[in-house]
Amino acid sequence: MTENADFTNVPEATPVPKKRSKLPVVWIVPIIAALVSIGIVVQKYLNEGPTIRITFPSAEGIEAEKTLIKYKDVEIGKVTHVNLTDNYTRILVTAKIEKHAEGLLDKDARFWLVKPRVSLSGVSGLGTILSGNYIGFEPGTSRETRRDFRALESPPAITSDRLGREFVLHADTLGSLGLGSPVYYRRLDVGDVISFDLAKDGRSVDIRIFVNAPHDKFVTPNTRFWEASGLDASMGAEGISVRTASVTSLIAGGISFETPSPGPAAEAAPNTPFTLHKDRKTALTPTMKEVRLFVVRFKESMRGLSVGAPVLFLGMPIGEVTDIGLEYTGGVLRPRVEVAIYAYQFEQAFTKETLAVQKTMSREKRTDVLGRMVAEKGLRAQLRTGSLISGQLYVSLDYYPDAPKAKIDVKQDPPEFPAVVGGMAELQTQIQRIVAKLEKMPVEEIGGDVRKTLATLDATLQSATRAMNRVEGETLPEAKKTLEDLRRAVTAVERVLNSTDNVLLGPDAPAQQELREAMQEFTRAARAIRELADYLERNPETLLRGKNKENP
Amino acid sequence: MTAAVRTGMREGFVSCEACGLLSRPVDTEEPGECPRCGAELEFRRRDAIQRAWAFAIAAAICYLPANILPVMRTTTLTGEEPDTILSGVVILYETGTWYLALILLIASVMIPLAKLASLAYLLVTVQRGSVRNNRERTRLYRILEIIGRWSMVDVFVATFVVALIQMQPLMSIAPEPGVLFFSGVVILTIFAAESFDPRLIWDSSQGKQETND
Repeated sequence: MTENADFTNVPEATPVPKKRSKLPVVWIVPIIAALVSIGIVVQKYLNEGPTIRITFPSAEGIEAEKTLIKYKDVEIGKVTHVNLTDNYTRILVTAKIEKHAEGLLDKDARFWLVKPRVSLSGVSGLGTILSGNYIGFEPGTSRETRRDFRALESPPAITSDRLGREFVLHADTLGSLGLGSPVYYRRLDVGDVISFDLAKDGRSVDIRIFVNAPHDKFVTPNTRFWEASGLDASMGAEGISVRTASVTSLIAGGISFETPSPGPAAEAAPNTPFTLHKDRKTALTPTMKEVRLFVVRFKESMRGLSVGAPVLFLGMPIGEVTDIGLEYTGGVLRPRVEVAIYAYQFEQAFTKETLAVQKTMSREKRTDVLGRMVAEKGLRAQLRTGSLISGQLYVSLDYYPDAPKAKIDVKQDPPEFPAVVGGMAELQTQIQRIVAKLEKMPVEEIGGDVRKTLATLDATLQSATRAMNRVEGETLPEAKKTLEDLRRAVTAVERVLNSTDNVLLGPDAPAQQELREAMQEFTRAARAIRELADYLERNPETLLRGKNKENP
Repeated sequence: MTAAVRTGMREGFVSCEACGLLSRPVDTEEPGECPRCGAELEFRRRDAIQRAWAFAIAAAICYLPANILPVMRTTTLTGEEPDTILSGVVILYETGTWYLALILLIASVMIPLAKLASLAYLLVTVQRGSVRNNRERTRLYRILEIIGRWSMVDVFVATFVVALIQMQPLMSIAPEPGVLFFSGVVILTIFAAESFDPRLIWDSSQGKQETND
């Protein structure tokens, strides 16, 4: 290589045409447009709520793409299709529910058609006259989700925003009750009937009622419900009384309730079953729950004692006789009386202080009060006459400190309540005892005694005659002995006479009477014989011819 | 067509788009400003085809939601009713005012679509260097420019209606996202038409003619 080398052979670099590599900013515009569109599509897809199917009995007022589904008046969905079900019996409504309401669609969610309704208990759904029918919705409490529903025939009476509690009433018949019939507490409208149905066995009717808060707290397990429908007219000693809860209940029926014993009883749990009674009186009759049953075995007659007769504790009514019967024990039939003592009636008789003291007692102690009174203070049951005219008896509980010891054996069911013989019966038994004593008196023996006495008298008289004869025939020295004999005889006569006296004048009145009658008979017989003798003396021929009719 | 037309660009001159003054550019890349009115000079609109394409595609993208999504929501006593453009056409037709339905159909559905189609046609032909129907294509472009802005009337109507009909319990109208997309379509097609340089139609035909000569 030399210095002046030829560079002409050096190849030239290939020029690279300047490429406009940068993408014009303007392409951002379609990219943004695309992104926004995609964003909206994605958002719409994400917001897509579930599709549900509801079956309705009819498509009345339901229009596809128009009828809304509302919860608390907020639109949560819309009907998309209205078709018939596969078996053509119902209407299948397909609806799209909004995404935000998806969580509400649980298993026991309810749907129903809201349309104007006019019923006795009110008018509802008037707004739908303008807005058109819509489908009402009420979420349930279940956690399971569901997509197929069956619409309710009528709107539910209660919605979740209504505070209060539901209860179930068992009744024999529905009576005049209907949906929406009011529930009264002290004549205040506090709730209504929300549904009714036959019990599973078809033997009774289950009525569901709803009691609004805060009145629901007055329903305790002890509460009694009765039908307040219509008129309740009754005639009694105080005249005619007519009771009715309200005009609405006259037409639509109603239910009233009351809690018999006030006190801090626990509130009843929701859905607690109760019995619906026919009227207030039967409703407030205490139930078996607060009742203590006792058996009383009286010894006297039960005549005048009837089922329902009161049981009075020191004059306070605390219960009633529930059953009267005979019991075969120890080889004999004996009366057996079952009495019920109502705790609430019992407690009602207490003074406030006693009640307070009683409340502080433990349960066992409280139930044992009667038992202790029986064991320690001689509390006994006794039959007493309530009315002298009708002879009605009642059972009285009273203290008899002298009564023989007894106590209630709580192990028996029902336990026996010791009894004492009571009032009238006691008098009766006393009389009976006297009669029995009289019966026991040895009348025959007395008769024998009399005979014996007479025989002795006879013997004495004979010996007296003999003595007299001896006095006549024998010597005087014997007279002394005879006198002694005589004296003896006289004393014997005296004794006999005394005993005869006793027999005749003693308490043995019939004997005396009979004796007198016998004497009279005897006198009469003697007179008759005398008259016969006189007659025969004057008319001796009658012995042969018989008695002449003309000549009596 | 006359042969060997002398154009300003070929002669090295540039005309001002604002005042029409023909001037000598400083440089072919950066022509500079118009010496009379001060407007920026350019031989041809910059990136005309790319820009036009971009706006046209964006408009096309917006066109779908504009027609699918509701443009407004009418709330009356009897309920709520969202309306898309097409459902509006249907309602107008069903209620008997077929002429209004026709106007709405043409102004809101067909014109934007026609604009997009025309733009695409112009752009494709220019890119392919087509020399046919130059005059017609130029006329098409002019029509495009003129009627483009009238589609905005729809958007104005919607805005007016929304603003005016607010009788709360009886009736009220609220805008819905569809109206945004619709105005997007209108504005983007205007931009696309604006970005397009009709002189390109002739440029390619010039080249072609030159080669043909």
